[in-house]
Amino acid sequence: MVNLTPFILLLPLVGFAVLGLVGRVLPRAAISLIGCGVVLAAFVLAVIDFFSMLGVAPEARFSDVLPWTWVTSGSVTIPFGLLSDPLSAVMLLIVTGVGFLIHVYSIGYMEGDPGYWRFFSFLNLFIFAMALLVAADNFLMLLVGWGGVGLASFLLIGFWYTRPSAVAAARKAFVVNVIGDFGLLLAIFLIVKDFGTLQYIPLIVHPASAGTALPSLPLPFPDATAIALLLFVAAAAKSAQLPLHVWLPDAMEGPTPVSALIHAATMVTAGVYLVARASAIFTASPTALAIVGIIGGATAFMAATIACVQTDIKRVLAYSTMSQLGYMFMGEAAGGFSGGIFHLTTHAYFKALLFMAAGAVIHALGGEQDMRKMGGLRGRLPQTFWLFVIGGLTLAAVFPLSGFWSKDGLLSAVLEKAQTGGGTGWYVLYAVGLFTAILTGFYIFRLIFGIFFGRYRGGAIAAHGAAPAKRGGTRDPLANVHEVGAAMMVPMVVLGILSVIGGFYGTPWSDWIGQFLEPVTHTTNTGIAPGNGLFWLAFVLGLVTGPIGIAIAWARYAQREPRFGASRNPLVILLQHKYYIDELYDAVIVVPIVSLGVFWRIGLEGGFFEGGSLGLGHLVGGISRGLRRLQTGYARNYALAILVGAALLLVYYVIHP
Amino acid sequence: MQVSAYLIVSALLFTIGAVGVLVRRNPLVMFMSIELMLNAVNLSFMAFAHFLNSVDGWMFVFLVLTVAAAEVVVGLAIIVSIFRSRHEIDVDDLTMLKG
Repeated sequence: MVNLTPFILLLPLVGFAVLGLVGRVLPRAAISLIGCGVVLAAFVLAVIDFFSMLGVAPEARFSDVLPWTWVTSGSVTIPFGLLSDPLSAVMLLIVTGVGFLIHVYSIGYMEGDPGYWRFFSFLNLFIFAMALLVAADNFLMLLVGWGGVGLASFLLIGFWYTRPSAVAAARKAFVVNVIGDFGLLLAIFLIVKDFGTLQYIPLIVHPASAGTALPSLPLPFPDATAIALLLFVAAAAKSAQLPLHVWLPDAMEGPTPVSALIHAATMVTAGVYLVARASAIFTASPTALAIVGIIGGATAFMAATIACVQTDIKRVLAYSTMSQLGYMFMGEAAGGFSGGIFHLTTHAYFKALLFMAAGAVIHALGGEQDMRKMGGLRGRLPQTFWLFVIGGLTLAAVFPLSGFWSKDGLLSAVLEKAQTGGGTGWYVLYAVGLFTAILTGFYIFRLIFGIFFGRYRGGAIAAHGAAPAKRGGTRDPLANVHEVGAAMMVPMVVLGILSVIGGFYGTPWSDWIGQFLEPVTHTTNTGIAPGNGLFWLAFVLGLVTGPIGIAIAWARYAQREPRFGASRNPLVILLQHKYYIDELYDAVIVVPIVSLGVFWRIGLEGGFFEGGSLGLGHLVGGISRGLRRLQTGYARNYALAILVGAALLLVYYVIHP
Repeated sequence: MQVSAYLIVSALLFTIGAVGVLVRRNPLVMFMSIELMLNAVNLSFMAFAHFLNSVDGWMFVFLVLTVAAAEVVVGLAIIVSIFRSRHEIDVDDLTMLKG
């Protein structure tokens, strides 16, 4: 088995360095070539790694590259190590594969942007940081990648740095992410305290026990609950779970490819990865798992309800991401760690597709993101429409698209946990998951019908992009609307195909991905088996929930002219304000801190320090102004002073002999 | 002769020099007054050297003469350059260092 992980990391890093240092003077074609080329090469290496891994026995699929020791502190030694195992192999495939498609899409989307080279440089940095995060072989290097992803997201969300809203969103994302970094750091301290090592092997990954149903932990976990909860704080901040989700919707301020990258291949998947990676720790603490499940279920439900009333098309997708991540955490909490990773992969396909399609619509309409000013675009953008529908159907988990299999796996894991003695709480979570599935079908098709059906509700679209303006004679406001070019269309088609077929490696009958990840996740719960009595009930429930939501959306938004106007329904107002969570944070955290800052600035800094130091200065200045009069400039005065001084000295020595 | 006679002459010369420095406005005359003061001191050194039969006083006189010569050189150079730039040399007009 080969292990090319160091090169997978090195390639995007080189791309970042080259583009960042000399990108400004390179021609556009060279920037595109370098930016996409390094990620494509990294993807090819990841594929080679993956297939060579398939060729060996499950116990032999672990390969730790340890080039040098990084930190030695007392008895703790932390190598600069890169681990290649089934979990990191799957993650690297997604990060580099979907990441590459987003790079290609960016060639078209960012065409004409003056920061073209900067954009690709940051994208490469993002890929590097994420690859480091998933390839690290210990928690400290994970933290390095973790922080790097936060930095890259900060740079990309605030890419259009002349917009105040983008800068504010970037700052918000960074601050919330630092809370997560802090949780991860505290977890690391506790792990060192308990075990004196941070290496995954042998701490939480045990190649020797691959193939056994239960992980045979060689070490007890005295602080399992504390460590697991701190890790989950980190995961929640990165993966936008309640109550640390506030940065994700605002992150829509970045360019659309960034949204696709953050929501599909990188960033938000980090939290799901961390929980799956630390599955041994989480399994050791049922309390922590219950909390993860509750938070995941609550996030899935709340985000889906908010998505039902948003009118900004990117924000609908942002809340949809939150909701899907909630599903993943819910499933992982029920023991379906491989199910969480499976949904992560299918979600990467269809959410990247949806964001790209949304970007294509925004591109076609010259930057318009408000659904209320769209409608009737089906005829103008037929390819985008069909790709959007494929993404929407996959998100709504319609049989037999990939989203159906992965979401069904997660819900099935929750149901099995409930059935095998998890308690009634898990039945409630399962019900919440089913209801959220209806909401999912509703909000995504509300979006699709709002964009593509009915009549056009916006103003005339000016000529833009590469296509020339249609000359006079036409009164069609959409005359200048055109499909996107090949650079943007091809990645969408690829992702569309993946969305359709990507689920067949994880069906209940042949859970290939679950078996592949089993050496790492030691999954104790793979969902309801096909032989079980409840299996077909759960299967049918999974089949119908999505279409029910779609049907409701059809009735409300496609059959008659949709109304997106203001509502007096208090529930709708509550949802439009996103449960007032931002307002709550403003009132509880932001306003007091800002007030305290204003007080320090005006009261302490302005009154005490500034007044005090200025007063002292004035005092010294006044004294010296008085003393200055002694310096007359007349030489005779100085001479007299010397003489008088000498005379006084003389008198002194005469008096005191 | 008593040593006091020399010392009285020395004190008189010193006082004349000091008053000259204080009241005259011409830097050249001020310089001459300073030389007078230095030489008044030299006189008392010599008187003590003679009456105490010691060469210490001679040493000091040589030192004072050397310093006086150097001082005159530097001082005259300053006076000349001031005169060149201002075309007048009244000490009371040179008050640029006033605070």
